[in-house]
Amino acid sequence: MKHLIPEFDVLRTHFPAGFESSLVLPCLRRVQEDRGHIADADIDALVDYLGVPRIQIEEVLSFYTQFRRQPIGRHHLQVCHNVSCSMRGAERVLDRLSQQLGIRPGQTSADGRFTLSTVECLGSCGTAPVVMVNETYHENASAESIELLLDRLT
Amino acid sequence: MPEIFINGHSIQADSGQTVLQAALAHGHEIPYFCYHPALSIAGNCRVCVVQVEGRSWVEIACNMPVTEGLRVLTDSELVREHRKSMLQLTLLNHPVDCGICDKAGECTLQDYHYKYNGAPSVSIDPKVRATKFHALSERIVLDNERCILCSRCVRFTHEISKSHALGIQHRGDASLIRAAENHSFDDDPYSDNVIDICPVGALLSRAFLYKSRVWYLEPTPSICPGCARGCTVNLWHRKPEWKLNALDPRHNRAIERVTPLPNPAVNGPWICNKGRDLAKIFERARAEQAMQGGKPVELHAAIDAARQLIGKAKRRVAVVSSWGSNEELRTFNETLSGHFSAYVKSDHVPAPGEPNQDDFLIRADKNPNSMAARTLYPALPEAEPMFDDATDLVLVWGEGFDFARLPQRARTIVLNAYAQPENVAADVFIPLSIQTERRGHYTNFQGVVSAFEPCFPKPASVADAEMLFAALAERVGALA
Amino acid sequence: MPGKNLLMTFPVTATSHTLPDYRARGGYATLEKVLRQMKPEDVTREVTASGIQGRGGAGFPAGRKWAVVNLNDGQPHYLCANADEGEPGTFKDRWILEHAPHLLLESMLMAAYALQVRHAFVYIRGEFDLPYRRLSAAVDEAYAAGYWGERILGTDFCCDAVVYRGAGSYVCGEASGLLTSIEGKRGYPRNRPPRLTVRGLYQRPTVVNNVETLSNVVGIIANGAEAFRTVGTAKSPGTRLISISGHIARPGVYEVEIGYPWMKFIDEDCGGVLHGQKLKCVIPGGISTKVLTAAEIKDLVLDPTAVEAAGSSLGSGGMIVVAEGTCMVRLLQVMLRFYHHESCGQCTPCREGMGWLHRIIDRIVAGEGRPEDLDRMIGISRLNDGTTICGMGDAAGYATVGILAKYRDEFDYWIEHKRSRFDGNLECPRSS
Repeated sequence: MKHLIPEFDVLRTHFPAGFESSLVLPCLRRVQEDRGHIADADIDALVDYLGVPRIQIEEVLSFYTQFRRQPIGRHHLQVCHNVSCSMRGAERVLDRLSQQLGIRPGQTSADGRFTLSTVECLGSCGTAPVVMVNETYHENASAESIELLLDRLT
Repeated sequence: MPEIFINGHSIQADSGQTVLQAALAHGHEIPYFCYHPALSIAGNCRVCVVQVEGRSWVEIACNMPVTEGLRVLTDSELVREHRKSMLQLTLLNHPVDCGICDKAGECTLQDYHYKYNGAPSVSIDPKVRATKFHALSERIVLDNERCILCSRCVRFTHEISKSHALGIQHRGDASLIRAAENHSFDDDPYSDNVIDICPVGALLSRAFLYKSRVWYLEPTPSICPGCARGCTVNLWHRKPEWKLNALDPRHNRAIERVTPLPNPAVNGPWICNKGRDLAKIFERARAEQAMQGGKPVELHAAIDAARQLIGKAKRRVAVVSSWGSNEELRTFNETLSGHFSAYVKSDHVPAPGEPNQDDFLIRADKNPNSMAARTLYPALPEAEPMFDDATDLVLVWGEGFDFARLPQRARTIVLNAYAQPENVAADVFIPLSIQTERRGHYTNFQGVVSAFEPCFPKPASVADAEMLFAALAERVGALA
Repeated sequence: MPGKNLLMTFPVTATSHTLPDYRARGGYATLEKVLRQMKPEDVTREVTASGIQGRGGAGFPAGRKWAVVNLNDGQPHYLCANADEGEPGTFKDRWILEHAPHLLLESMLMAAYALQVRHAFVYIRGEFDLPYRRLSAAVDEAYAAGYWGERILGTDFCCDAVVYRGAGSYVCGEASGLLTSIEGKRGYPRNRPPRLTVRGLYQRPTVVNNVETLSNVVGIIANGAEAFRTVGTAKSPGTRLISISGHIARPGVYEVEIGYPWMKFIDEDCGGVLHGQKLKCVIPGGISTKVLTAAEIKDLVLDPTAVEAAGSSLGSGGMIVVAEGTCMVRLLQVMLRFYHHESCGQCTPCREGMGWLHRIIDRIVAGEGRPEDLDRMIGISRLNDGTTICGMGDAAGYATVGILAKYRDEFDYWIEHKRSRFDGNLECPRSS
């Protein structure tokens, strides 16, 4: 995490004095962006840098769904299975993906390319069904459109 | 001083109080789990619900500020119905472990269930399973299924012990109390307090696990001798009627566990972990046999021999115990000290790795009554030689004296409760009773005087120091 | 167009979200007027006079919320725009973030001025990547143009913007959970009292407003409260951004004048039910509002008061259209799975209740339901109504009670026959 400290120093200046605790979420996000997940050493480094109790970071990591402490596949396929998406075919998209990749939600393909997850409402119900691939929303998803997409992802 | 009404009864509340606090202070019952007078308000258990007169809904009382003229019902139909439902929800996934749970007999959930619910579960779905026997630390076992997530333990580590060692992992009904992964809970010298404040049998002492049903035990008020704070404690031991003939007699006079005896002037409702382990201190090997020159003698013979040594000596030094009670010290002062140059020693010093002093309870002075002793006599000199060459008698009372520092020609009278090699080398050795075998008082470092009561009879062959000093002084009398 | 537009007043292009385009539309002119000619109290007075209700779900009048903040207490105040938008069915704040971020920012500056706020936050859900990038870019543009920072537009007013990203938690859309999240912790909601306007972010007075609510402030100040009140109804002036989804031909975000006829909106503006199917029911304002049948909304208008009178709520404006042939049991199952997943776990009724509701409906769907399960679910919902720390318990209760009230027969059927009357179908049938 050391190489990110200069960035964190800048980030700190955007917050009022005394808001060190607030830096936990943005720093964790940046660490995860950089490493792909958050390692134990990152937690220790962040505790040192921010001066927050270690338990706070441990709690945050397990409370929020977007943080992970283990690496995942190169491409995270997050299929919304909430109401509007289910009403527009999300379950079929999920089944198709599952079949194609040979994995169930929560698992990573053997070649390490894809991790499949189900997620809750992504705030894109008008273009349901939606699959979030890493950071990008793939809207109006269909089994076909996703297949095309997967082919393009290495 | 706002006036509020609880079930129609007027009470004078303090401004700044909550309805729960005001109600409890005036003897009105409102059940609660997550509230604790020494911790911040969590308001998560939802059991302390009350109804403001005129409203058709219930609200929690622990977060309701008192306001002038507020009228609250704690036992209306609506409150009873909601309270019962909240208990049912609390019990929804709670394992019926009572038969194997240490907390049975002193469990708030049990008590409230019988008082306010009493009905079997209405759920036919399997209970949520979670970790049982999770080692939260080396000393504390956690059963997550029993945990009702009141968060008292978490708040304790953030607000009282300040170790920030406990937190909650995950969310919803998958939430689990967990200790920080850097083992800061193992390093928290106040960790065991969470066992007391846990309202259910989720947090349990590993040392006490399965040792005894609590209704076989009774508490005796005492004082922890672990340091000069002198926290008041309850020592728990078998009730006389539950002493089992079949047991090794040592079991019948064992300290099964130690809990805080709440004391606003000294320790509040807390003690440190050393206080939990008082059995380690009180149940060390005892000296029970009087001796002369290492040879066993009757107690009265030893007392006679000691009297003669005192009578014959010209230059007498007494090394007084900082574990002596106020009463024992007073008696020593009134009877013997005129004949001795007396000094106070620190019977115990911090063990390697033991917390030294902090800004909470723990004091560097690991003796319970230095205060009273030092009011009477100076501390043992550090410099060599400790006493001058003319010293021909040294009376050593209690532990922790470095006998190598004695002048060669001095005779020794050693008074001690515990077995130690030097007892045998003394000219006269007299075994003493310990704190748990008598009543008395200590004065803590702030000058607060607290009392301890006896839990066990003293062995017949040992002497109470108070009686002993009076006996030793008899017929010594007229000497300078 | 469903009535007069106040927010969606320009065509969306590749650059319509940028500062030059926003300024060309008159953007930031009102900020000048506020900072040079108005006092903070004037702004609050105008917002209060407008009568604008919160558009995040709770509908609390914004002016009344602002008025609680004591401008002379000598302590820091904070403003936070709630861009968490987690209520399933809702995606209208996203429209503002992606296409009109400067409208939000200019509104926030006015609110900050009114409330004596030195640091204004936008809490944006972690999943919103494009909206975040658009908003961040807009913040950078606005800073460069001198609209944020020290001595804004040469006045004494200083204010900084902080965009704070969430990390995946519905309960962080609840105002107090949101603030606890900004404090860098788990997003645990808080008991009230104290209100957040008394003790909020780091225990300082904080105003949390929905993105859409705030975005109306520019218009209210530019044209005056009276002009704002000419749109919509007396009790609920203005427009609502409705996110419509589900079995609808043209899903999307529409700006609707409050009071607009409901069926006209569905059939004319949104193209009617998908595949020409018959309308079964509508979830009016996010899944946490009670479902209304086609018959119940036939003559209704899109007005919070009218919807409340019909026994539901316009909530967050996240409207979900359900066609005939949809299995309501499975629909509720998806909702209960969601609430169970999102419960923070703090308070007993929600923590235990959400899991219980989910387990019961899973058991019904698995063919092992019992008749008493339905009243049990209603009982659990009632227990969560008003007894929880935040509104999530209530929300799950409304979803459950609403669907059970109108479609109990489908549940009875599944329990008796151990299968769905509609093959467990959630998608819109293609033929009748």
